[in-house]
Amino acid sequence: MSKPHYDLEHHAKKATGIGDPQCFKGEAGKAKFKVGDKVKVRDISDLFYTRTPMYTRGLEATVVRLVYESPPAEDEAWDNTENVEWMYSVLFKQKDLWPEYSDTFSQDTLETEIPEHGLEPA
Amino acid sequence: MSKNHKAAPMVDEVSEFEVLELAVRELAIEKGLFTQEDHNAWTEYMHTLGPVPAARLVAKAWLDPEYKKLCIEDGPKASLEVGIDWVNQMPTKFGTPSDYCNLRVMADSPNVKHVVVCTLCSCYPRPILGQSPEWYRTPNYRRRLVRWPRQVLAEFGLQLSEEVEVRVVDSNQKTRYIVMPERPEGTEGWTEDQLTEIVTRDCLIGVALPKPGKTSNDKRYVRPAVNPYGH
Repeated sequence: MSKPHYDLEHHAKKATGIGDPQCFKGEAGKAKFKVGDKVKVRDISDLFYTRTPMYTRGLEATVVRLVYESPPAEDEAWDNTENVEWMYSVLFKQKDLWPEYSDTFSQDTLETEIPEHGLEPA
Repeated sequence: MSKNHKAAPMVDEVSEFEVLELAVRELAIEKGLFTQEDHNAWTEYMHTLGPVPAARLVAKAWLDPEYKKLCIEDGPKASLEVGIDWVNQMPTKFGTPSDYCNLRVMADSPNVKHVVVCTLCSCYPRPILGQSPEWYRTPNYRRRLVRWPRQVLAEFGLQLSEEVEVRVVDSNQKTRYIVMPERPEGTEGWTEDQLTEIVTRDCLIGVALPKPGKTSNDKRYVRPAVNPYGH
């Protein structure tokens, strides 16, 4: 195995005076989804690290905002900042998340962020 | 209490997390990742923070629709007008793994009420809101708010009608959130300073609504002890 080649200071240097996630702006390329798109959260491995909540896995949501570009937490946790992605703020119906959620309040929602690789078209 | 009683410290040991923090911190200093001076500077910076800038941001937005638009569009830029520079004010000049530089202001409407939680840990917009309250960090709040938001809000004394959509915001990635509640009735003609006073920390997390005359966080109901001390 070759030695890891990441510069441990790289990320901090890059973000100094600009901010994180602002320092990754423009690196993700074209966004796969747009506001209003119906998406589904992929149930991908949470081995090692993830920030995609388990309670959202496999469920449908609507994209409400393209928030910023950043390496996904799954990579960044291991100091890999090479694969910058779009981050999406998506909106779930509470009724979809929790089957027992009261019908009286079926309009209630939950918003959270998911990286592009965690989503697929619904 | 008997005359022979010797006062003992209330807390006589540090928690495992405190031991862990000490060990990691000392290792990091030994390895040269940061210095003791860096650590002191960071700690002192953290102690200067509080919720007042966020309260002022909301008050300004209530008075200025253009500024409100900016808040919703670009949180860090809007923060500059209340004296908070998300990037350069931090001693690191770039944030930390738990203090990213991306603020979103979630504006309530008559039909939508936002409330913020971080189910993964306890992410909180500290540069503009200060340290999080103890309850915000508890597994109890984090686990229950996403699933039973109305019940949890009711425990805070906030009962919302069926017409309102409760929107829980789970702060799981790099965005940090504050809630911009609706301007309450009875504040017509108020100045920015007056309005700032009623936007409490709890209003900014979303577990309370601003009200004329209410200038501090609600007292939590404490059930009286069945066998109180010295009964």
